[in-house]
Amino acid sequence: MTFDYAHLLPIVPEIAVLVLASILLLVDLWLKDEDKGTNHLIAVFGLLVVIGLTGVVGGGEREIVLSGSYIRDPMSDVLKIAVLVVSLLSFVYSRDYLRDRGLWVGEFYVLTLCAVLGMMVMISANSFLTLYLGLELLALSLYALVAFERDNPSGAEAAMKYFVLGALGSGLLLYGLSMLYGASGSLELGAVARAVAWQGADNQVLVFGLVFVVIGIGFKFGAVPFHMWVPDTYQGAPNPVVLFLGSAPKIAAFALAFRLLVDGLGQLHADWQGMLVILSVISLAVGNIVAIAQTNIKRMLAYSTISHVGFIFLGLLAGTTEGFAAAMFYAIVYALMAAGGFGLLVMMSRQGHEVERLEDLKGLNERDSWQAAMMALVMFSMAGVPPTVGFMAKLLVLDAVISIGLWWLALIAVFFSVIGAFYYLRVVKIIYFDKPEVIEPLVVGSGARVALSVTGLAILLLGLFPAALLTYCQAAFA
Amino acid sequence: MSMTLTLAVLLPFLGAAGVAWGSRLGRPTAILLALLVVLMPAILILSLLDPLVAGETHLEHFAWLPAAGLNIAFRLDGLGLLFAGLILGIGALVILYARYYLAAEDNLGRLYAYLLLFMGAMLGVVLSENLIQMLMFWELTSLSSFLLIGYWRQREDARTGARMALAVTGAGGLALLGGILLLGRMTGSYDLSIVLASGDLIRAHPLYVPTLLLILLGIFTKSAQFPFHFWLPHAMAAPTPVSSYLHSATMVKAGVFLLARLFPALAGTWEWNHLVAGFGMLTLITGAVIALFQHDLKGLLAYSTISHLGLITVLFGIGTPLAAVAGIFHIINHATFKAGLFMAAGIIDHETGTRDMRRINGLWRAMPYTGTLAMVAASAMAGVPLFNGFLSKEMFFGEAVGVANAMALGWLLPVAATLAGAFAVAYSLRFVHDVFFNGEPVDLPRHPHEPPRWMRVPVEILVVICLLVGMLPALTVEPILHLAVSAVLQGPPPVHDLAIWHGFSPAVLMSILAMSGGVIIYSVRKPIYGWWDTQGGRVDFRRAYERLLQGLLTLAGRVTLWLDQGSMPRLLRLFVAVALILGLAGWWGSGSPLTGPLTLLPLDAVSLSTGLALVLAAIATLVWHRQRFTALILVGAVGLMVALVFAKFSAPDLALTQLSVEVVTVILLLLALFFLPQTTPEDPPSPRRWGDAVLAVLAGLGMSILTWAILTRPYESIAGFFLERSVPGGGGRNVVNVILVDFRGFDTLGEITVLALAGLAIFALLDKLRLSGQRVAGPATAWHWDRHPLIVASLVRLLLPLALLVAVFILMRGHNLPGGGFIAGLITAIALIMLYLANGVAWTHARLPDKTHPVIGAGLLLATLTGLASLLFGHPFLTSTFGHVHWPLVGEFEVASAMLFDLGVWLVVVGSTLLILIHLGLMSDASRDGLAPGTPVRGSGAGRSAGDSPPGPGC
Repeated sequence: MTFDYAHLLPIVPEIAVLVLASILLLVDLWLKDEDKGTNHLIAVFGLLVVIGLTGVVGGGEREIVLSGSYIRDPMSDVLKIAVLVVSLLSFVYSRDYLRDRGLWVGEFYVLTLCAVLGMMVMISANSFLTLYLGLELLALSLYALVAFERDNPSGAEAAMKYFVLGALGSGLLLYGLSMLYGASGSLELGAVARAVAWQGADNQVLVFGLVFVVIGIGFKFGAVPFHMWVPDTYQGAPNPVVLFLGSAPKIAAFALAFRLLVDGLGQLHADWQGMLVILSVISLAVGNIVAIAQTNIKRMLAYSTISHVGFIFLGLLAGTTEGFAAAMFYAIVYALMAAGGFGLLVMMSRQGHEVERLEDLKGLNERDSWQAAMMALVMFSMAGVPPTVGFMAKLLVLDAVISIGLWWLALIAVFFSVIGAFYYLRVVKIIYFDKPEVIEPLVVGSGARVALSVTGLAILLLGLFPAALLTYCQAAFA
Repeated sequence: MSMTLTLAVLLPFLGAAGVAWGSRLGRPTAILLALLVVLMPAILILSLLDPLVAGETHLEHFAWLPAAGLNIAFRLDGLGLLFAGLILGIGALVILYARYYLAAEDNLGRLYAYLLLFMGAMLGVVLSENLIQMLMFWELTSLSSFLLIGYWRQREDARTGARMALAVTGAGGLALLGGILLLGRMTGSYDLSIVLASGDLIRAHPLYVPTLLLILLGIFTKSAQFPFHFWLPHAMAAPTPVSSYLHSATMVKAGVFLLARLFPALAGTWEWNHLVAGFGMLTLITGAVIALFQHDLKGLLAYSTISHLGLITVLFGIGTPLAAVAGIFHIINHATFKAGLFMAAGIIDHETGTRDMRRINGLWRAMPYTGTLAMVAASAMAGVPLFNGFLSKEMFFGEAVGVANAMALGWLLPVAATLAGAFAVAYSLRFVHDVFFNGEPVDLPRHPHEPPRWMRVPVEILVVICLLVGMLPALTVEPILHLAVSAVLQGPPPVHDLAIWHGFSPAVLMSILAMSGGVIIYSVRKPIYGWWDTQGGRVDFRRAYERLLQGLLTLAGRVTLWLDQGSMPRLLRLFVAVALILGLAGWWGSGSPLTGPLTLLPLDAVSLSTGLALVLAAIATLVWHRQRFTALILVGAVGLMVALVFAKFSAPDLALTQLSVEVVTVILLLLALFFLPQTTPEDPPSPRRWGDAVLAVLAGLGMSILTWAILTRPYESIAGFFLERSVPGGGGRNVVNVILVDFRGFDTLGEITVLALAGLAIFALLDKLRLSGQRVAGPATAWHWDRHPLIVASLVRLLLPLALLVAVFILMRGHNLPGGGFIAGLITAIALIMLYLANGVAWTHARLPDKTHPVIGAGLLLATLTGLASLLFGHPFLTSTFGHVHWPLVGEFEVASAMLFDLGVWLVVVGSTLLILIHLGLMSDASRDGLAPGTPVRGSGAGRSAGDSPPGPGC
């Protein structure tokens, strides 16, 4: 079997990320402590180049390369660009934080880039093996990132919990995948789909495999009851890591779910639909209700993530192109909102003071009204208030669910959104109406300021003109 | 394509930004800009008047989300025109009024910006053709009213009020979203034109009732209907211009607007009549009664607004065309007189500094002009003839009487209407009499006098409208009413007569009753006030709302306590349990049998005994897991049994690998365990541990069942492919080895690179790390005094050449028979490690090169060069070739390029394994006992150089 170098063309962006990470690793060796800003510049410009490359390589018909283990299709193009953009934003947000805390080392960028690479591999995976490879690259990088602030015991505890549970989750997913392999005789998603279509749900092993795969997906998304790692990890990890961990991987998790459940096991839709219904309903319920009781804003956002995952699942379980497009739209939009929300927390955290209590946001409006307005926008968007994009995302998902006749499910989702609106609005109230405990104005770097403004405006503009993104999401499944 | 309406809706939004900016140039500029922003949409809308009068509905469509079937679409019909008129007209008056109301230190630009934002949202609601788009504007009105109510941020009541209003109306909006989605699903479109035309389809649909309930929830929360009315009085914390605009004329009317809008689609069923009229009636009475007892001027007006909204709701609930006419008519009337009253109340507040009616009395002397205006507006509110409120109230009474004959329990309605009418008269009387007469003012903060000229103008205009409509209805209000009603009914309006006197009818009787009743109630008010002040506070839905919130918080707290304890074992327990349950559900769910079609092999003695030994070893590990060394040895036994299983199933190659890996692993673990406590501390026994045990057993059983299910099923193996091609393609009969070094050579190259990296990384981690290790083997058991017994040392020295020979043998035969570079590497490493174990580091280092880095490097280089060599011959990377050589003694011998590659593998494995194991051992002080102090040890730091370590003789 000969190797065709043309097969490398679709994966040029991935290669570029790898090269970028390696360059950073090497450059960092020779950088003096005061020059560490170079890392940031290299990473940011490198990611810009990768975004460009993804755009150049992308577009057109789907291609399956590397002996069927890798795929580039319209969906992967959109998701990869979304992941890259959100990662870029998180770099920009984190710059000052890392500098002030003495965490400004090359490892942060290298690990994050490895995670990005893992996500890109996941998004483009066309076989169980590639998928798992990407997933583990992402997960391992994240475990290390969570414990990045080595002297912080709560960070270490969070990383430990994340790692042990994550290993269990990955193990179950892998177990499920191996059963699917046993039942279908192939690792490649297309071949698996054909084998499944032929055997159907009669094969006990397939059903077991499916169960474990759904557990693994549920874990990676952080859906209830596999959500336990989410709040603890969010609370313990340093803010920039939470920012990254809480945003882009949701997009990759969508890809994971779509590749496995739809590309691979689309024929078993009836089986996994039921499981996702349960997962999404309890995620919505637990996420929204528990979030109310949180006084730590990172924990609150963690539970809010869980409830948003419920919405993403709603779109997925619809099983229609409309539903997939809605779920994809939701995942991307959620990543953007999370980047904005956590981005502000990162920006507000000064040396020696990690912003994580709700009270820390008190009177933000008096300290910096523009940032306050952006944060309010993010909160309104998460609550699903028009005309922000969060509303559009919810609307599309609900529409997809109703269109397959599960209107009661849509009503449950609406009901819990109403409860969810409560705690988002509480944040808005704290920002605008409460007296600040610290009166000094917020010192924010220009990069982060621009990033937050871009995020906020994107939330607003995408809400007004959702077609700009939705068209791409729908084209991915056309 | 026309963009007139779109522009009309967008202008206020742009204007809001403009005014916020322009207000820096001073108040006059701000007010001019704001009025201009109101004027422009008005002109745009008026330009569309002609076709509208001719009976056409003006529509504008733009593509927005075509894929989801959503368009931006605006529509102008009679109803939209009426509301747009109210919004813009009263909006202009409020802007004028606010200029004089607001204190100099308040930011006028911000208020105007919010007001215009709200105005744009409101216009969007009434002019939208697309329901989803309408909902977006609907929520925007909630948001902008949140900003407006909370305008005075420093005040606690403003913040509470703003939050409450947003929570209630925002939640209602989401319910409305649910309703609209269902409506869209039923009719297949979100366009009003289609929805309004599909009334019969909707009413007959099985989802009609949930749809109706959701939409009504949205309407009732917005229009402050019972039991959601509590937010409106608290919204009175807003500046008075805001109250008069939002909470009388426009925002709260959005609810009844939607009621009118969806009238053709939803009305006419039993559910509609009872729900809408029923809740409307409750609101009507509750609002009217509570209004009388408010001592706060604005509180009175707020509850009266609630009552009047209830009245309008009842009218739409009755559902007859005439009732709809009355409903629309009352919307107009209420908006005018209530806005006027609020402004009057604002003037009084502004002039006296308080709104407490127990203190402001006898203002007539100070401000007779304002008093006259307030009296006219209050008369309209009371429903006194010749004022506009009278006309719509008469129509309402007439409709109520009609219902009494048509429905069971229908008599309730006229009774309630009369009672509410009486209370309306009473509270209107109170508004006039308490404030302007009724003795002397009590302790006013300011000395009252007439307000500035332009502050009165808006009230004057509204009062004139009240009078004109009240006296000449046919000339003034009839045309717009006609247009609006045709839009509501989607057909020609019923015959109605807006005359003041229709002759004697039950309605007139009810009016007379209400008037006299009102006067009577007001005359006996004093004792009732006392009763209310002690008892009335009990009925407070705000408290219910707060209790609901509190309950939610408590629930959230409980769930958090139960779920979110942060305890790792608990999390793991939950995870495993859920996985077990889901697995079980999957098993239960599918009907297929557990056991697959494969026939089982007969049970023989070897398999049985191996299996039993495996089970026993596993159980023994569990039992003795606290003694870690014992447990480790037992785990080793498990590994050996697995190797046996491989051998039994004719996989000698795997068995060999397993065997050598097992040995290396055990040594590795032993080295690590040396630094850790020798026993695991004992957990106190508890019921939880028994629970864990059960869970573990169940999970184990589940795994066994799964394994059974999989092993009894046939699967397609890829073995055939490799078996066929091994000899012709790779020149070797050992398929596993050929796969490793040839078919999957690239993988192997990657793997040995990883192994090399791992070795180097572990070396880097352990370098300079010194641990003391455990000085005792267990409780009161010292390690043996002789670390390197002579017999072992001598035997190992004898064994070494033999072991190396075996390794070379295994390496050479690897291509055709069980063996290969990997296994050979492990064997070599084990042999050398034995040397270290038996003789100690000092002795060994004197005889062996202590650097294994070059070995690793050489291995990698060799493997890579082998791969590259094929490029020289024009083949892709790592293409292998083979040939046959005749050796003198051995005979025919096959040489494959892959063997060179295998040699590389061998070198890397030896180097890495040794590097890892030696440095694990070197961590301990004990290993260094034999080394003279200062003797440089590999990697011990500064003094390290090639010359320092004694040259070894090799092996």
